[in-house]
Amino acid sequence: MKLILSDRPLDLTVKNPDQIKVIDLSALKIHNCVGCFGCWTKTPGRCVIRDDAVTVYPLIAQSDSVIYVSRIKYGGYDSIMKTMLERAIPVQQAFIHLVDGECHHVQRAVAPKQAVIIGYGASGPKEQALFRRLVERNARNMNFENFQVLFSSQEELESLVRKEAAKWDAS
Amino acid sequence: MGRILILNGSPRAPKSNSKRYAGLFMDCCKADYAEITKTNHRELCARTGEYTDLVLAFPLYADGLPVTLLDFLKTLEAEPPQQKPTVSVLINCGFLEYAQNHTAVEMVALFCRQNGWSFGSVLEIGGGEAILDTPFRFLAAGSIKKFARSVEKKRYARFHTTMPLPKSMFLKASAAYWTEYGKKYNISKEEMQTMQIEQT
Ligand SMILES: Cc1cc2nc3c(=O)[nH]c(=O)nc-3n(C[C@H](O)[C@H](O)[C@H](O)COP(=O)(O)O)c2cc1C
Repeated sequence: MKLILSDRPLDLTVKNPDQIKVIDLSALKIHNCVGCFGCWTKTPGRCVIRDDAVTVYPLIAQSDSVIYVSRIKYGGYDSIMKTMLERAIPVQQAFIHLVDGECHHVQRAVAPKQAVIIGYGASGPKEQALFRRLVERNARNMNFENFQVLFSSQEELESLVRKEAAKWDAS
Repeated sequence: MGRILILNGSPRAPKSNSKRYAGLFMDCCKADYAEITKTNHRELCARTGEYTDLVLAFPLYADGLPVTLLDFLKTLEAEPPQQKPTVSVLINCGFLEYAQNHTAVEMVALFCRQNGWSFGSVLEIGGGEAILDTPFRFLAAGSIKKFARSVEKKRYARFHTTMPLPKSMFLKASAAYWTEYGKKYNISKEEMQTMQIEQT
């Protein structure tokens, strides 16, 4: 499965919607993670907050290719995407192992991913560089096998997403 | 002498490690303390203007700032006080490597640069979920003391600490910690290790 996760509506039509899911997070109701660790210790693999996030993290887990589209704020994901990423920790176990010599959580059934992360709204090259470093860190925690970080203006965002998604059709 | 306000940006502030770290800070020097909630942003933004130093105490969340803090900083950007205090960072992360906190620290530094706030001291704590309940508590307390002094004296500097354990031992200790955590809810280690997501 492939997944396009966006923090704003995108005018996209995908050829095979069974295999490519497009999710506009701004249309969903997703509460902040409260840091209770219930998804690791009480109901392993399930978040205790039963809102729309519980329909999204299983798709994140299943997808072997993802495109994440997010506004950038202070060099990181802005609130809509960040809220979802925080709520996605049920896909990991509490238990820790080493990845490239560093501590990280063991993943549950999470497909290794080809990830394209598209950020828009960065103030300049320094903010872009920080965002890139963030995605490098995420790669280890989110099972990205390969990743690419792309930057876009808001105007060119849709055409860039289309272009990246078209590469899936071609492959 | 300056005045220091500690703001707790943990999503579970009342029961957080950040609160315990803030408590150790206040054992070393006088500071006021408040917790960021969804509804008190504007009140806290105004309050920051009464202080010379603002200490943001928060956990690392998905390699970045928890949304609780991110949203607060966005309000602070929109509604800054007339006099801006210097911003220092007291961050902790679950993993052993304190360096995993760097990106989040840089995000606060970028907030400061973009909005004309001075950036002060930093304390990065690794193994922050556990360290206070281990024999290495003194290391955290010692670092917080140095960090607090640097803020108080306005001699801003960067500090870090973690548990001086080989990684293999940290992995074992953390497995035991989480296994005990599960037991409280009658969940076995095997159940916690399920590979299933959203399926029962
Ligand atoms: C949603 C979520 C994401 C987290 N992400 C990270 C992370 O990327 N790296 C890390 O070392 N710890 C991570 N942690 C662990 C916390 O940083 C750690 O438990 C910390 O001690 C919590 O501090 P607090 O009690 O002050 O909130 C995460 C915890 C949660 C709930």
